[in-house]
Amino acid sequence: MKKIACDERPGWRSYAESVGFEFHTFDGEPYWDETGYYQFNLRQIEQDLEEPTEELHQMALGLVDDVIRDEEKLQQLAIPEKFWDFVANSWRNKAPSLYGRLDLVYDGTGPAKLLELNYDTPTSLFETGFFQWVWLEDQIMRGKVPQGADQFNSLQDQLETAFANLPLANPLYFASVANSIEDKGTVMYLMDIARQAGVDSRFIELEQLGEAGGQLVDLEGYAIGGLFKLYPWEFMLQEDFASVILSSQTQWLEPGWKMLLSNKGILPLLWQKYQGHPNLLESHFEQPGQSFAAGWVRKPLFSREGANVEMVTSSGEKISEPGPYADSAFIRQKLQPLPKFGDSYSMIGSWVVGNSAAGIGIREDNSLITKDSSRFLPHIILD
Amino acid sequence: MKQKVLKRSKKAALVLMVPTATFLMAGCGQEEAVQTAAFETVDQCAAYYNPEQCKADLGQALAMHSQVAPKYTDKAACETDFGVGQCETPAQAAAAAGTEQVPQQAQASSGGFFMPMMMGFLAGQMLNRSGSQLKQPVQAQPLYKSRDDRSTFRTANNTPVAKGVGPAYVKPSSVQPKPAGVVNRGGFGAQAQKRSSSSATGFGG
Repeated sequence: MKKIACDERPGWRSYAESVGFEFHTFDGEPYWDETGYYQFNLRQIEQDLEEPTEELHQMALGLVDDVIRDEEKLQQLAIPEKFWDFVANSWRNKAPSLYGRLDLVYDGTGPAKLLELNYDTPTSLFETGFFQWVWLEDQIMRGKVPQGADQFNSLQDQLETAFANLPLANPLYFASVANSIEDKGTVMYLMDIARQAGVDSRFIELEQLGEAGGQLVDLEGYAIGGLFKLYPWEFMLQEDFASVILSSQTQWLEPGWKMLLSNKGILPLLWQKYQGHPNLLESHFEQPGQSFAAGWVRKPLFSREGANVEMVTSSGEKISEPGPYADSAFIRQKLQPLPKFGDSYSMIGSWVVGNSAAGIGIREDNSLITKDSSRFLPHIILD
Repeated sequence: MKQKVLKRSKKAALVLMVPTATFLMAGCGQEEAVQTAAFETVDQCAAYYNPEQCKADLGQALAMHSQVAPKYTDKAACETDFGVGQCETPAQAAAAAGTEQVPQQAQASSGGFFMPMMMGFLAGQMLNRSGSQLKQPVQAQPLYKSRDDRSTFRTANNTPVAKGVGPAYVKPSSVQPKPAGVVNRGGFGAQAQKRSSSSATGFGG
């Protein structure tokens, strides 16, 4: 694994905008960054990333059964009691799941370590599945990247297959919050793939969802049989329509059981069950008044994009990222610092579609905490 | 030489996100009718289909009845459309269906309203190709009969589906149940507003 500087494609910004990738630059800072790329060999991809991704995924699935029959664990994950049956039934009824992303620390050698599971509302999907794929084809054509280069990225193929084969409601509605172009971009990409798989995909702003007689309804008042929501379960459970989740006959994507796995509390539970596993970092639920030792990270049960994460490095330096998620319980995770390439720390997001590893996207930041604004860089495989 | 297996997608194409792309709505204007059936009782249904599924379909139709049936504030107006003695309140419907629970709809509008009695049910489409229930394009639902045409079963939206008990051929989009009543909106999204520092913040991660 190494980082290689590379010329940008001339005119890539206008191309990005022509395909709906409007958030390639965020607040004047680059988000998509093709001034460099990462290069892996095939063994690193297959043995160090692909196989552990699928194994960690199976370990996580194995925990769902444990949690739904254990009140103490449900409480540790702060799942409201009112929804315990909903979550358990979604698992027992095998409610289908589309995708997830595991965030990994990996520097090219040794076992990749799991930082967290983004199993409810993962994004950077378009950047991974489409835009870095096109980047590779373009750069091979321009001779900027070697002819035989490949990429660990079957994301779009696998999503299309999933949309075609999963027992999904049709039409299938897709919702994201009205004001986020990034979330809408992710949802538009999924709708696009769903359409290519023959699914009648329809967009509705999350705030426009309606309720009539206990059923979730669209703008015309028709019952919504299936809804992909790019909106966290833990928010929905607290909002005015929380009871509609229980009464509506809607098929949810991601399904209710995913709220157990997207929860940071799953990390200590994984550690309890698989203590010492080479791809896991030691993790515990935070105890009241627990001191914050060097070499540990503190994360809220519910947070995304690095928000409200704090750490103390082994040298005692304190690093923290502010955010709006300070109102939940916290976990502690042993610090495994991200590897540094040049001036940047990089993290690997490893995708799962169904139960298969489906590719990676790399995020870079100037700090040890990866966040919303962290840059996305493409990668290649070359043996 | 053996073909190298690539680790990347064979294609990454877009159809909706590209403004210049033109595409046809899948199936638009050429939707095919599928077979289902209309019944008054589980016994009639059991002559065609699995009795358990028949019971489930009748149950779903009864549950849906007071949600989708056309609503009238005035009993006479309801009877003008559906016939004298053919209208009821949600409370009466619930009692007739043998349930104690009055559907939420009725509680919400406590002023009381009238709706036609349920005269039969449309069976959901049974055992489709994939064997999967979720792909059923036709939902089990209640059926009604208008005052001036007592032989035809109609959906709550007045779509005629069958002349009497037995098989019926319907286009799935024409029999999609639509809850009739007050629609509430804005029940999701409050946490996003509360936790959003700027309007551009997303809630994926």
